[in-house]
Amino acid sequence: MKNSNVMTYVATACVVMMVVVFVTLVYESRALSYLSSDPKVCITCHTMNTHYATWQHSSHREQARCVDCHLPRDSFVNKMIAKSIDGYNHSVAMTFGTYGKNLRVTANAAERIQNNCISCHQGAVSQMHENSEHYARFDDDVSMGRRCWDCHRMIPHGRTKSLLSTPDTLGVKEFKNL
Amino acid sequence: MKSIIVIVVSVVATVLMLLLLGSIWGNKADQAMINTVPEIRELDPRSSEWGKYFPRQYDSYMATRESDDITDVLKKDPNMVVLWAGYGFSKDYNEPRGHFYMLEDNINTLRTGAPVDENSGPMPTACWTCKSPDVVRLMEEKGELEFFTGKWARWGDEIVNPVGCADCHDHETMQLSVKRDFLARALVAEGSAPFDKASHQDMRTLVCVQCHAEYYFKKTEWEDPDGQQHTAAVVTFPWDNGLAVEEIEQYYDERKFTDWTHQLSKAPMLKAQHPGYETFKTGIHGQNNLACADCHMPYVREGEVKYSDHKVGSPLDNISNTCLNCHGESEEQFKQIVERKLERKEELAASATDILAKAHFEAAKAWELGATEAEMEPALMDIRHGQWRWDFAVAAHGGFFHAPEETLRVLGTAIDKGHDARLKLRIILANYGLPEYEGPGFSSKEEAQELIGLQMEKLVDEKITFLNTLREEWIQNAATSGKNIYDPKTEVKEFKASYSDEK
Repeated sequence: MKNSNVMTYVATACVVMMVVVFVTLVYESRALSYLSSDPKVCITCHTMNTHYATWQHSSHREQARCVDCHLPRDSFVNKMIAKSIDGYNHSVAMTFGTYGKNLRVTANAAERIQNNCISCHQGAVSQMHENSEHYARFDDDVSMGRRCWDCHRMIPHGRTKSLLSTPDTLGVKEFKNL
Repeated sequence: MKSIIVIVVSVVATVLMLLLLGSIWGNKADQAMINTVPEIRELDPRSSEWGKYFPRQYDSYMATRESDDITDVLKKDPNMVVLWAGYGFSKDYNEPRGHFYMLEDNINTLRTGAPVDENSGPMPTACWTCKSPDVVRLMEEKGELEFFTGKWARWGDEIVNPVGCADCHDHETMQLSVKRDFLARALVAEGSAPFDKASHQDMRTLVCVQCHAEYYFKKTEWEDPDGQQHTAAVVTFPWDNGLAVEEIEQYYDERKFTDWTHQLSKAPMLKAQHPGYETFKTGIHGQNNLACADCHMPYVREGEVKYSDHKVGSPLDNISNTCLNCHGESEEQFKQIVERKLERKEELAASATDILAKAHFEAAKAWELGATEAEMEPALMDIRHGQWRWDFAVAAHGGFFHAPEETLRVLGTAIDKGHDARLKLRIILANYGLPEYEGPGFSSKEEAQELIGLQMEKLVDEKITFLNTLREEWIQNAATSGKNIYDPKTEVKEFKASYSDEK
């Protein structure tokens, strides 16, 4: 009886410890900030500094934030699912250091971005859509046969976007304002 | 048993979370290292000290020395000599050279005169305000009002670096920062874009606006700790009523402010400085919230590295990295479009200076014939306003591109006011029996300067004596003062001025 009392105390202490560590983890990782759409959240880790800085110098900065292109915009649920998938992948890559210095979008993210290009620039591309069956098809996954950025290669991050390409970036400094 | 399961699960979870926490802390330490900026002394005016850690930005900043041609504006349009009769600009006025030469040109221009000691010369300390990071340092060390008190020559051996890193950057974070308080005060007074709400994008303009804006020297009485009374000439942006040419004109009229009384017409004149920001904001690029840095400091690449080009100059030198970031036309088309814009402005500007110069001579003749102040006043106010508007449209140099419509509109009103003045003066001249009077002709800067009685040879001689004596002393003092403010790297090797031939 006495022994089980001790065990209960120890168990309680362990749970309390776990909760404390969990809260610390949430705080230290700024986990809750990821619910926001502020582009600065994307440079919580230094890995996106280049992407932030190049976007910040592009004409898209006045019209679209990171999430406006990179996450689905058709429904809140889809947006959160995509955010969770990306967030999980990013966390794993960050924790185990499995990313290189040249990041590329996943097939899934590329599809979302393509859809978002079209949703904003509908007027400009509607006729291309109509005619797309006559085009040579470079990429069967996309309705128009190729992706917008196969031609518009500079938009919006420019052509040099390795993690080393913008030392002393604006992104780093903006982060300090969070 | 239950307790054991709870213990095992929570310990395992805790250990895993601690490992993750360790990894996060590790990454944060990495990030802190990446974010760390080397130690630079607060407000160190020597750009080469900052350049040790930011070699690309520094090298490109130093490349502003390539913009080294002296273009004599008075030579291009001698009418300006007449427009500024009685005021320093009639002596010497060049198009701006690169940032590297700012201090040198301020010291070389005949406008700053030839002081022989710290209490002589025509200009107040305020003339240094935009030329050097040493200004910011002095304001911090001595106080703003103390800085703005006394003659220009007072700070000659303190202000020894051309505008540089410390003018726009924080020494710890390299973040953009506005170091001159009068800008923040003006934005608050104007009200449409309060300084404390400025975003990073706004800052990429506002650091430039510290200098590229219209200003005047506001006489300000103050008392030092010893009870001594002083009058400071404080750089002030006249934005209380707004940024438009009419609103600033109204600001000056309400305060009965004049920069000088015109030597010929006796009109109470205004000198527009360089209202770059005010005009830019009315143009299409300003309205789309572009920043100065977007076009004047574009990204450039060196190998894999991208950085912001600190060789601030004309974006037309680098169209493929500036205009073409957003626009689809060819470089050639761009050049033609901009050239045509410039021609349009120059056509109207030449018309305005011609009309205004004639008006000054006609007013002088009217006074000579015995016209009264009451008769002259309406015409003189038209001259004041007309010349202010012409100056506002051209003084910032880039206005024709930043805001072509506004620039041409303002020039249109300048011509209108000039004609109004001449019409009124023509009636006065007719009343005094000289209805067909025409001012004297002149065809060069030299003729115009002679006409208004400027003794150019004397001015140049005195200036050269100053450059060979007091100026040399200033450099010596700064280099040996022990304050670590002198930077030989920014010394200008080749002397160039509008009067170079005479040296």
